[in-house]
Formats: sequence, structure tokens, C-alpha cells
Amino acid sequence: MGFFFDLVMIGFSIGMVYALIALGISLIYSGLDIVHFAHGELYMFGAFFGLIASQNMYLPYPLALVASMVLTGLMGIVIERVFYRRLTRAGGGYTVEGMGIIICGFGMSIFLQNVAYLIWNPMPRPFPVNFGMPIEIGGILFPRTYLWIVLTALGLMSLLHIFLKKTRLGLAIRAVAHNKEISFLVGINVPLMISLIFGVSCALAAAGGVLTGPINYVQVQMGYLILIKGFAASVVGGFGSLPGAILGGVLVGVVESLGAGYISGNYKDIYAFVMMILVLMIRPSGFLGVQVKLKA
Amino acid sequence: MLTIKNIESGYGKVQILNGANLTVDQDQIVALLGGNGTGKSTLLKTISGLLKPWGGSIEFNGERIDGLRPDQIVRKGLVQVTQGKEVFPAFTVEENLKIGAFSRTDRAAINDTLEHVYSYFPALKEQKRRRAGTLSGGQLQMLCIGRGLMSAPKMIMLDEPSSALAPQVVLNIFSIINRIRRDGMTVLMVEQNVRMALLLAEYGYVIKDGVIHIEGKAKDLIHDDNLRLSYLGGTVADRQKETTS
Repeated sequence: MGFFFDLVMIGFSIGMVYALIALGISLIYSGLDIVHFAHGELYMFGAFFGLIASQNMYLPYPLALVASMVLTGLMGIVIERVFYRRLTRAGGGYTVEGMGIIICGFGMSIFLQNVAYLIWNPMPRPFPVNFGMPIEIGGILFPRTYLWIVLTALGLMSLLHIFLKKTRLGLAIRAVAHNKEISFLVGINVPLMISLIFGVSCALAAAGGVLTGPINYVQVQMGYLILIKGFAASVVGGFGSLPGAILGGVLVGVVESLGAGYISGNYKDIYAFVMMILVLMIRPSGFLGVQVKLKA
Repeated sequence: MLTIKNIESGYGKVQILNGANLTVDQDQIVALLGGNGTGKSTLLKTISGLLKPWGGSIEFNGERIDGLRPDQIVRKGLVQVTQGKEVFPAFTVEENLKIGAFSRTDRAAINDTLEHVYSYFPALKEQKRRRAGTLSGGQLQMLCIGRGLMSAPKMIMLDEPSSALAPQVVLNIFSIINRIRRDGMTVLMVEQNVRMALLLAEYGYVIKDGVIHIEGKAKDLIHDDNLRLSYLGGTVADRQKETTS
């Protein structure tokens, strides 16, 4: 029983990180109608920024987290403004221009990885943070990192919720995600909102990176796997749905952890994709997704 | 109030407007007519900023507005109500109206406008907590016009307010448009329902092949043979040939 609980707790923590990535992917999808394939690299840059802030600049961990989120958010806004903007202008989604943005995302992913290689070499780096003594729950010693991850992720999600539901800017973002044309016509600066959506999504990815840093090594390749797991989490929960992203993330994290513990740890990464395939076969819109009818 | 000179515009590589000229004076209702695909909606979208003009100029209240973003144009007092009765379906009727006032910040004034809009559309007031996605066609049209009014514009552009609506509903909406104008509003209205549009408007323009083909006072246009035939095809001369042969 202790073992099961242990696996669930770890899976839940990792799931929170997947959820942060999935939230960013879903936000970008609902705002820009594109799947952002470079999102894993923003997570990776976030982890590196956090590492530098913590190790080289001696900032305390929470401050390093915030600094990384702000910096990565700004980086995301610059990328959107300089590269994606001229592609989104013509449209997204099921259009030729939408394909252009997706391919640009692939290119951006490769570009960012290589920039990271140049700045920080390929060596994986540890991100040691002293969180204090492990906590004992149910007779098992838990490293505090996992608790931190859950609490911080929940805090960020609450902030996001309040921002979207209770602020004027959040209302504008929700409107833009619904219908850009009407948003324009009620006086919303749509391009600015799109940049903001991008910035927030990248900040969330950075948070995911800084939170995972202490558990795994920080390395240039860490973005690749996290992107497809975040993507799988989005699909499981319902693409474009924010509660779905959170649910999907948690489900993928827990199932993955249980699978690794009870079935096999060798193919740990496979469980996320098996879930995604099952969901696509049985209920393609995901658990909390909205059934969308394509207009002919 | 609104002056359009030689406007050229289109979608992607396809040019739709080839030098259209149009003027709307203050407190007028002007009708813009024409067959399908002639450029009526394109013209409205170019004026409201959803499309960038390829050439020509658009002046509103003495200021050039061509090339501005749509939200900037809304702040200048010019609002478009699109075809298609698009609303935010997940928001309530009242939330949809309130978001129409996004460009304004004065809470008290916005609430006054809201009550004013409800006085035009009492049916909306009754349904104000209902999710907009569940409304009927006529109610959606009223909501869209109401939302446009919420930004307190000086001029409003309506794209086919009668489309897909039952005749009784159309009459209702047109009488409300008339009231809105009489309370002090300038209106540019694209319409397929030629007769109703010309009964309501003072001046009319007919667009064809991306330019203004015919224009004139509404009461003259109603009887204009050229107009009738431009919808059906051919000219007055052709028709005369037909009837004599």
C-alpha cells in the first residue's frame, strides 16, 4: 500500500509539471490556433535560466523561479512577435498558413536547441537545491522537491484562473481565444493579446522547467520528451481546454508512475503515448474537451 | 462623416474592390446594395480595418483611418456589426453586451449605455442571463447590434441585418434601426433586401464589379430600372430590345 501511495504521489507531482506544459500548449492552441512545437525548448530554456539564477547569481530558489518565468515569458513574446506574427496574420488552423506556423515551430525547436548547445554545452548539469529534510508520509520518506512542485504548480494554476476569470486582460484573452474578429470589433487589441497569451504560456513552461530541474539533470535535450508528454496530456484532457490540461497532466503523470512501478520501468515513457492513443480511439475530444463539429 | 475614395482591397491575391467611392453624412442612413460577391462585405471590412486597403483613402470625421487596426477604429467611434450574427456563445447576453464596451472605462456611463440598449431591445433584457449560444436568429441579430451600440459609436455599419430572418423579425429590427438613427446615429447598411433597405435609407449606393455602379437618393433608386436589372442582369436598353422584338 505504501508503495502504491508513493508512486501516486510522485506521479501526481510529475503530472503537475506535465499539466503546466499542457496548459501552455492549450492556451497557445486556443489563442493562435496552432500547436507550438517549440514549447519543449522554452521549458528547457526556463530550466537553464533558473539554474543560472540559482547557481551563478545565488538567488534563492523561489526568486530564481520567478526570474526564469519572466525572462522566458519575454523570450516567448519576442519569438512570437518576430517569427510567428507574420504567419498568424494570414490565419491558423486548417490552412496553408497554419501549416507554415507548425513547420516554423519545428524549425524554432531545432534552432533553440542549437543555440542552447552553443551557450551551454551538451553536458547535463545537476540543479541542486536544499529543500530541507524529506517529509515522512505514510511511513515513506518524501523528498520535499515533490511537495514544492505540487504546491507551486497549484499556486500558478490558481493565479492563472484568477487572471483569466477576474481581470480585464483575462477577459480580453478569453474573447480572443473564442473569436478574433469579434474581439477586434469590440475594441480589443488582438495582436497584443496574442503576444500576451504566448508570454504567459512560455512562463508556465519555464516554471515547469525550474520545478523539474532539481529532480532531473538540466540538459539541452530535456525539451523533446516533455513536449510530447505535454502534448499527450493535452490530448487526454481535451485539446484547448484548460481544466482538461490539468486533468490530462495529472492522469498521464500518475499512470506513467504506476506503470513504471508495477509493469516495467524500462519503457517508462511509453505509458503516456498509450494513453493518448487510447483516448484518441475512444473519445478523441479528450475527457473534458468539447466536441467540435467541423463545418463543411 | 465617412468618405471613401478609390478604395482597392481584396483577399489574398484576389482583388475585390477596384476603386470604390462612397460618402456618408452625419445622421444619415445610407444603404449599400449589390448582388452576391460584388464587394459589399469586403468594403465594410476594409472600412472597419479587418482588411487592409490596397489603395485609396478612408476618412472618418476628418481623420484618415485606412491602415489602422480595427480596435483603434472602434475607439474613433466607428463600429461594424458583421454578417453571421457572431457572438461569444459561452458568455451570457449581458456579458456579450458588456464586452462591447471594452474600449470604454467609465463604469457609470457604460451602465447608462446598457440600459439604453435594453430600451431598444427589451427582449434582450428579459434574457440577459441566458447563454448567448442558445438564442434565436432574431435575438442574435439584436444582440450583435446592441453590442455594437455599447461602444457608444458615432457611426455604425450593419452587414445584412435582415439575412436569415423571418419577415416579421426583419420589420422589427428595421424599425429599431430607424429609432436608433433618430436618436442620433449615422448608419451605413449593407442589405440584400433592396426594397426594405431603400424604404429605410435616405441615400443608396449600388456596387458592382468592385466599383460603385449607381448611386442616388433612395426614393429615386426604388424606381430605377437600371438598379432592378443590375440585380437580374442586363441593362434598360437590353430590356427594351426584348420587349419590342
